Amino acid sequence: MSTSRTIQFTLNGRPATADIAANETIVDMLTNRFELRGARESCGQGLCGCCTVTVDGMAVSGCLSLAWFLDGKSVETVEALSKGGVLDPVQEAFIEAGAFQCGFCTPGFIMMVRQLLDAHPDPDEDEVRHYLTGNLCRCSAYPEIMDAVKLAAAKRKRASAA
Amino acid sequence: MAALEIAEPEKLDDAYTMLGTEEGSIRPMGGGTALMLMMKAQLFKPSKLVSLRKIEALTGFSLSVDASHIRIGAMTTFSELEQSPMIAQHLPVVTQTMKTLANVRVRNVATVGGNLAHGDPHLDLPPVWSALGASVRIVGVDGERVVPAEELFLGYYETVLAQGELIADISVPVRPGWRFFYAKVTTRAEHDWPALGLCVGVRAEGEVIADVSLVLSAAVDKPTRLKSAEAALRGVALSDAALAMAADAALAEVHIEGDGRGSAAYKQQLLRVHLGRAIKHVMQGSASA
Ligand SMILES: Cc1cc2nc3c(=O)[nH]c(=O)nc-3n(C[C@H](O)[C@H](O)[C@H](O)COP(=O)(O)OP(=O)(O)OC[C@H]3O[C@@H](n4cnc5c(N)ncnc54)[C@H](O)[C@@H]3O)c2cc1C
Ligand code: FES
Ligand code: FES
Repeated sequence: MSTSRTIQFTLNGRPATADIAANETIVDMLTNRFELRGARESCGQGLCGCCTVTVDGMAVSGCLSLAWFLDGKSVETVEALSKGGVLDPVQEAFIEAGAFQCGFCTPGFIMMVRQLLDAHPDPDEDEVRHYLTGNLCRCSAYPEIMDAVKLAAAKRKRASAA
Repeated sequence: MAALEIAEPEKLDDAYTMLGTEEGSIRPMGGGTALMLMMKAQLFKPSKLVSLRKIEALTGFSLSVDASHIRIGAMTTFSELEQSPMIAQHLPVVTQTMKTLANVRVRNVATVGGNLAHGDPHLDLPPVWSALGASVRIVGVDGERVVPAEELFLGYYETVLAQGELIADISVPVRPGWRFFYAKVTTRAEHDWPALGLCVGVRAEGEVIADVSLVLSAAVDKPTRLKSAEAALRGVALSDAALAMAADAALAEVHIEGDGRGSAAYKQQLLRVHLGRAIKHVMQGSASA
C-alpha cells in the first residue's frame, strides 16, 4: 500500500509501463506521461464525455477514473483507431458529415459511437440517444452527429459485408 | 486532488482492519464515481482509499433457487444490472430506472453498494430498492446485520453505516402480481438529477388497489415512505378523487424541501401531479398485463 506505484498495462495494443501517483487520473496519465491528447478533460465530472477511453473494451470517463486500477488492463484511446493512415469508419463518417466545429468533443463522441455500434449495429434513435446522452458538444453539432452515426453504421455494414 | 494511499484487500477481514473504526479520512471505494467528484472538488481529502474491487464476496447477483429473492452483491455495477435479462424479467423497474440514470460511462463503474452508502437523497435507485422492500446486509468486524433499505438512511448524506462497516449485498424480493414504476421528474435535462423521485408499486385486483408501496426521494432529505398516502389508497378503487386524497395525505406527512431544481411549493405540486400519474400508469399496465 502506498501513494505511488508502477503499473503495467496494454495501451493501444502495445505493452506500457508507468510510474503513477495514487491520485492520478487516467486523462492526466495519458496526457502527461504518454503525450496522448485525444482524451481531454473538460467538465472533469463525468458529464461531457471528452475524456472517454475504453478499459478492457468498456467506456469510462478518464477524468473520474484513477490510473492505479489500470494495472493488468487494456486501454484504448482515439489514437488507436486509424491503422496505417487509414481512418476508422466512424472517424470517416464524422468528417464526411461535418459533425464538429471546434472538434474538442469529437474524440469522445467517436469512442462512444463505436461502443454504440458494437452493441447496436443498426441503432434506432432511442439507442443513439441512450449512448450519447453523456457526451456534450458545446458547438452543438448534434444534428450532424446524428447524421454521422447513421453514416458510420452504413459504412461498417458495408465493410463487414465486403 | 490531494495525495492519498490506495489499498486493495482481497478479504473482508483485511478490509475491516484497514478501515478501522475511527471516523476519519479512510474510506471504502466502490466504483469511485461519487468519491472522485468529492475529491476533485476538494470536498473530501481521504488519506487512504480501500478499494473493494478485489473482494469476491461482494460481487455477483443471482435469483434464489425458489425464485423469491434476488441477491445483488455490493460491487455489482449498474451496467451489469441494466444488461441482465434476469433483472429485466423479475425487476423491470430497475431496468427502467437505468435508462435515465447518469450515462453509459458512469453506469459501467458505479456500484449498487456505493450508491446506497453515499446517502445522497437525489439518487434514483435508493427509492426503488426501498419501494421494492429490499434489505441491506451490512458486515463489519463485529458481525453482520440486516437493515431494510428504507431504514438505511438517516438524513441528508447520512446513513446507519458506522466506520468500518460495509454493505455486502442487498436482497430484493420478487413480488408476483405487483407492478412498479419509478418517476424521475427532472426540470432541466432528462438525465439531470431529479427535482422529485417517486417509486410507485401497486398490486391491483381489477380496478381496486389491493396493495401499494410509495417511496419519495429528492424532494426530501432521505428516501421516505409515504405511509399515509399508502393507507389512503389501500383497498380503494382507482379514481381521481382517491388520488387527490392520497396526494393530500402525502403532502401532509412529509416536509418537502426546495433546491436549485425547484422551490418547495413547486415540488409539492409535482408530487401531487406525479403521484396520480404514476399510479394510473401502473394500474393501466396491470389491466393490460
Ligand atoms: C456524471 C454523473 C452523473 C450522475 N447521474 C446520476 C443520476 O442521474 N442518477 C443517480 O441516481 N445517480 C447519478 N450519479 C451518481 C452515481 O449514481 C453515484 O456516484 C454512484 O452510484 C456511486 O457509486 P460508486 O460505486 O461509484 O460509489 P463510490 O464513489 O465508490 O462510493 C460512494 C460512497 O459510498 C462508500 N462506499 C462505497 N462502497 C461501499 C460499500 N460496499 N459499503 C459501504 N460503503 C461503501 C464510499 O466510501 C463513499 O462514501 C451520477 C454520477 C456522475 C459522476
Ligand atoms: S471531462 Fe470527463 S466527462 Fe467531462
Ligand atoms: S465540435 Fe466543438 S464541442 Fe463539439
